[in-house]
Amino acid sequence: MTALLSTGGKSSWRGSAHWDAIRRAGEPQWLNALREAARASYELSGPPHARLESWRFTPTAALAGVDFEPATAPDRLEPLAGRVLCPLGFHRVVLVNGLREGRHEALKDLPPGVKVSGLVEALREEPEVIRPLLELPLPAELPLATLATAHFRDGIVLRVAKNTRVDRPIYLVHQTQTGADGRARAAHVRVIVIIEDGAEAELIEESLGDGSVPFWTNSVVQVILGDNAKLKHYRVAREHESGRRTTALLVTVGRDARYESHVFNLGGALVREDLRLTLTAPGGDAALNGLSLLHGDEIADHHTVVTHDTVGGTTRELYRAVVDEKARYIFDGLIAVSPGAQKTDAQVYNRNLLLSEAASVNTNPEFKIYADDVSCKHGGTIGQLSSEALFYMRARGIGADEARRLLIYAFGSEMVARVKIEPLRVALEAALRLRMPHEVKRL
Amino acid sequence: MLKITNLHAKVGDKAILTGLNLEVKAGEVHAIMGPNGSGKSTLSYVLAGRDGYTVTEGSALYQGSDLLAMAPEVRAREGVFLAFQYPVEIPGVSNKYFLKAAYNAQRKHRGEPEMDAGAFLKFIKEKAKLVEMIPSLLNRSVNEGFSGGEKKRNEILQLAVLEPRLALLDETDSGLDIDALKIVANGINKLRNPTRAVVLVTHYQRLLDYIVPDFVHVLSGGRIVKSGGKELALHLEKEGYGWIEAQSGKSAVAA
Repeated sequence: MTALLSTGGKSSWRGSAHWDAIRRAGEPQWLNALREAARASYELSGPPHARLESWRFTPTAALAGVDFEPATAPDRLEPLAGRVLCPLGFHRVVLVNGLREGRHEALKDLPPGVKVSGLVEALREEPEVIRPLLELPLPAELPLATLATAHFRDGIVLRVAKNTRVDRPIYLVHQTQTGADGRARAAHVRVIVIIEDGAEAELIEESLGDGSVPFWTNSVVQVILGDNAKLKHYRVAREHESGRRTTALLVTVGRDARYESHVFNLGGALVREDLRLTLTAPGGDAALNGLSLLHGDEIADHHTVVTHDTVGGTTRELYRAVVDEKARYIFDGLIAVSPGAQKTDAQVYNRNLLLSEAASVNTNPEFKIYADDVSCKHGGTIGQLSSEALFYMRARGIGADEARRLLIYAFGSEMVARVKIEPLRVALEAALRLRMPHEVKRL
Repeated sequence: MLKITNLHAKVGDKAILTGLNLEVKAGEVHAIMGPNGSGKSTLSYVLAGRDGYTVTEGSALYQGSDLLAMAPEVRAREGVFLAFQYPVEIPGVSNKYFLKAAYNAQRKHRGEPEMDAGAFLKFIKEKAKLVEMIPSLLNRSVNEGFSGGEKKRNEILQLAVLEPRLALLDETDSGLDIDALKIVANGINKLRNPTRAVVLVTHYQRLLDYIVPDFVHVLSGGRIVKSGGKELALHLEKEGYGWIEAQSGKSAVAA
């Protein structure tokens, strides 16, 4: 049984050195109480398992079958240059194994009104802002989010003040480095993003794995958009083949505000994101885009719940996956339209390309509608490469393998094309090309 | 150029071509006409090598080689071009990238160096003028959201870029207004020369006002039942296909 996931037994974290270390960190009483409550709650719910509705199709062995120890700072720091996708010229903040790493930062020329701090630092300097956010109740069906609250060591807080526009993207790198001892590690992280009324920002999160030992990053990311605020939120998972990543992304969108999200899964044994987004005031707008390119034994899972709580909200959701070899993709996208949320205009689509008979996809786009004047569309498809398109290309002299590769690339590149940050888009195009199957088999 | 002998083909279990003979020489334009269901599109697809069309008997020689033994892409690289009746949309692949991939595949096949992106762009812009295509369509995904006429013009653009030796045009005139028809016909006529051949598959005579054929053949019941000059097309236009089918039915019985 795993040290971090189990709810009892001798290897449980109850009374562990890790737990003591956290408690000794001189945290305020309220935070100690919050952690104790989270721990107690997690002991009741236990780790995710296949009997839970939201984990029905997602194998949990990558988490539950591994004995994770708490992550520590690595002995030696790997450089970022040449490894990360984005230019080092962006405003940059870095977590290494869940701990803020000042040596990798580039925050000197943040414009006025933009503040990036470590969570530990923010707890010390502005507890009145951080405390209510940490104390917000977490969705009961996300036990791992609760676990992160019990165990986080650090995190990042981004605040963009009223009517401020950030000049260039803010780049948050989640770097993981496994130790030479070959032991599986886990880091728990909380990230807070506050975009105040009328402010605009672009945030890129890239997770970068290394080594071949299981490393699990479990995070809770809270995003609060004020009225008329805008955030473009890019997330790129580039875990190594034994990297695990679970994220609870909790977003609230204010009046006439817009949240635009682009998530790319480019690797990892298990990458799961639970997105909970609420349009809390009239005129809110959510655009959710996803692309997963999976092969080997990789598993990716997107569970999204978008709640339209008031009138005139818009959601455009499109997730795509290319699933090869024995990989597995799970999509569950619910849009809930509350009573009174009239004039809601929402779409949720999931499109999948299966390249191998051993690959699998479970897709479930759905609506729960409690208002009567709404426009809601949804669809899920699981398909193979179009034989018509293949023949058309071959009839123009393009070889069969090349034609297949082109079609797969095209399927993914439509999502990449939505990325408006040019260096990131170019890097993603290259990454997409690298993820193309070496041999494109014929189904 | 092309010699088809006693060609039999089926789609699934259904026999469509039942002993078709046709010889096309360099420099010639042939029109193949016939009622719906006579096997016109099947003939085009069999010659281009589409999956699902099985040749059960007979042969097709292209420049002396067994055309039916070649993969579809090899046929294309060797100079066989099928303009599709329903051009396929390929979301996410830009028209100009598609053209470049096709063009360079052909050059590579001939042992010629590939053309670089800059030179190719200039080259296709010239070709696009020829078919009066709006340049922005070059940057769009292949045929995606194109009107019927734009799709057909795009086929002719591909034809102009690839300069095939043998062009098969499957109902290229269907769904075109008269202006588009003239542009398409003009594109095909520009290609005509003593080293090339064109086979027009069409239901109507209309296209033949603009591309005057050397020979007209009537396809019925999976084989060619009558051949003649361009006047045959005019006759068909006036009389319909009924008299031919009646006649060939009689001759089949007599045989």
